[in-house]
Amino acid sequence: MTTYAMVIDTRTCIGCGDCVVACKNENKVPAGLNRDWVVEATRGEYPDLQTEFRSERCNHCGHATCVSSCPTGASHYWKDTNIVLVAEEKCTGCKACIAACPYDARLIMHPQGYVDKCTFCHHRVDQGLDPACVSSCPTHCMHFGMLDDRDSNVSRLLRERRHKVLLGETGNDPHVYYLL
Amino acid sequence: MTSEAVKPSLRGFLVDSLGHLVRGRLMYWAWLVLLLGLIALGGWHYTLQLREGLVVTNMTNQVSWGFYISNFTFLVGVAAAAVMLVVPAYIFHRKDLKDVVLMGDTMAIAAVTMAILFVVVDLGRPDRFWHLIPFIGRFNFPQSMLAWDVIVLNGYLLLNFGISFYIVFNHYRGREPSESRYFPWVLLAIFWAISIHTVTAFLYSANSARPYWHNALLAPRFIASAFASGPALMAIGLQVIRGISDYPIRQSVINHLALVAAIALQVTLFFLLADLFTDFYNEGEHAASARYLFFGLDGHSGLTPWIWTAVVLLTTAMLILMIHPLRKHPVYMNIAFVLTIVGVWIEKGMGLVIPAFVPTPIGEIYEYSPSLTEIMVSVGIWAFGLLLFTMLAKAALPVQCRFLREKNRRAGTERNPDSDPAVEPD
Repeated sequence: MTTYAMVIDTRTCIGCGDCVVACKNENKVPAGLNRDWVVEATRGEYPDLQTEFRSERCNHCGHATCVSSCPTGASHYWKDTNIVLVAEEKCTGCKACIAACPYDARLIMHPQGYVDKCTFCHHRVDQGLDPACVSSCPTHCMHFGMLDDRDSNVSRLLRERRHKVLLGETGNDPHVYYLL
Repeated sequence: MTSEAVKPSLRGFLVDSLGHLVRGRLMYWAWLVLLLGLIALGGWHYTLQLREGLVVTNMTNQVSWGFYISNFTFLVGVAAAAVMLVVPAYIFHRKDLKDVVLMGDTMAIAAVTMAILFVVVDLGRPDRFWHLIPFIGRFNFPQSMLAWDVIVLNGYLLLNFGISFYIVFNHYRGREPSESRYFPWVLLAIFWAISIHTVTAFLYSANSARPYWHNALLAPRFIASAFASGPALMAIGLQVIRGISDYPIRQSVINHLALVAAIALQVTLFFLLADLFTDFYNEGEHAASARYLFFGLDGHSGLTPWIWTAVVLLTTAMLILMIHPLRKHPVYMNIAFVLTIVGVWIEKGMGLVIPAFVPTPIGEIYEYSPSLTEIMVSVGIWAFGLLLFTMLAKAALPVQCRFLREKNRRAGTERNPDSDPAVEPD
């Protein structure tokens, strides 16, 4: 099993939204819908406050509750990885996965009616490329790679820097990390 | 036909049953026209949803289950509550309940059918429903709770239909159904009834990211409230049947259902209190949804008046049903039944489904209320359920009435007061 991870440096992210635009262009995401988005949060205690920008998306969980809750197997892991995909032709649009997802990372396509989500650009990963959002980042704050490889950029960053995941307490084993 | 000559064949049974459906008084036809009109209206709104997609509902990527799934949850409870007639009738051999248990099964059939329809209209791609059929589609069993739900709901429908059909067909042939043949299925149906509501509760409580649902008390709360609303609905249905037909429904049956509802309401409100205490004594982030529901969150309080209405209705109903003279009073008793049905419909409907999505696990707040399309499609499904119940009851009642009359005539010489078919006025 290959575990892919995304590592995002909140100290160099400027919240420009290029990742969101790159995703929409690469994956032809219709108007009004987004597979990724930027959150602006405040961190620290007054008066020592900082603005934290976070580029958020599907966390491609190791124990993805969306995959286990799907009644038809439309939500599945790509090959032998943690990349979670939706097989569009099998999706009934029952939305059990949306209820199961801790990250609001899934969307219903209108009028097609099936559920769509971030794919970690697996079609690019297959060619050895980074996801579109990572490639487009102007401050190089986003990193993508394999956690199994100790020498990969993501493994090295997680070894060297303080980091967090979102909602780790749900037991989903998320794979989008934020450097603090 | 209505003559005493009984055609013992299956074909004769089906022809006779259809015959009962096309004979009726003006009120019967007016009722059918009303229901068919509502079904047509709901169907027309549903074609709109089919064409435009779920965007015509007020559901969003934040609040992804709404009015449809709320009604679904309530109806699964109603279906499960048929067991409150079945257990005393078949396990404790209460003669008065055994005479009406078939109506309980009929209501369960109608309720499960409506529940399944509510899931179908909630699907973004109903044309791919076949993926959810075991062996035919790609069925993610046993992992997915929704896959379990599909199995238990359809199984319950088949069980109830099979048992009712067997009993009515035997009565049609003028003989007692063989208990050794149907009793094992009745026993299975009793456990199955509990399972349909438990599995439906697990569908929600399995979601660890939604603390409002992720709660071990959810399944017990489901069962408790279902045993209040189901018997209340059944009691009203039985009184209506008694009013418009000569089917012998004894007042002791209605009193039994009122007592069941009283106890179930006490347990329901106790469970609610236990949940509220746990959420609010030391309030943490996990209580955000409960705060949104009961008190409002960050200025958003769309459901607050709604849930407090339910709490007041259920408490009032419980108090009426706890006072013996009021519980046996024909007017107050029925007021309590209506309050119970509406209260549980709110509490186990929108009150259960919506707050789990507000706020979302990552903190967004989107307030939901159903769109016109959702309301009209739901009205259509309710009308369809009432139509199904009417048709099944209309076909089965004459057979039942004739069988009970014959039986009582044979037993009449013994002067057993239990088998007196005459209906005492309330």
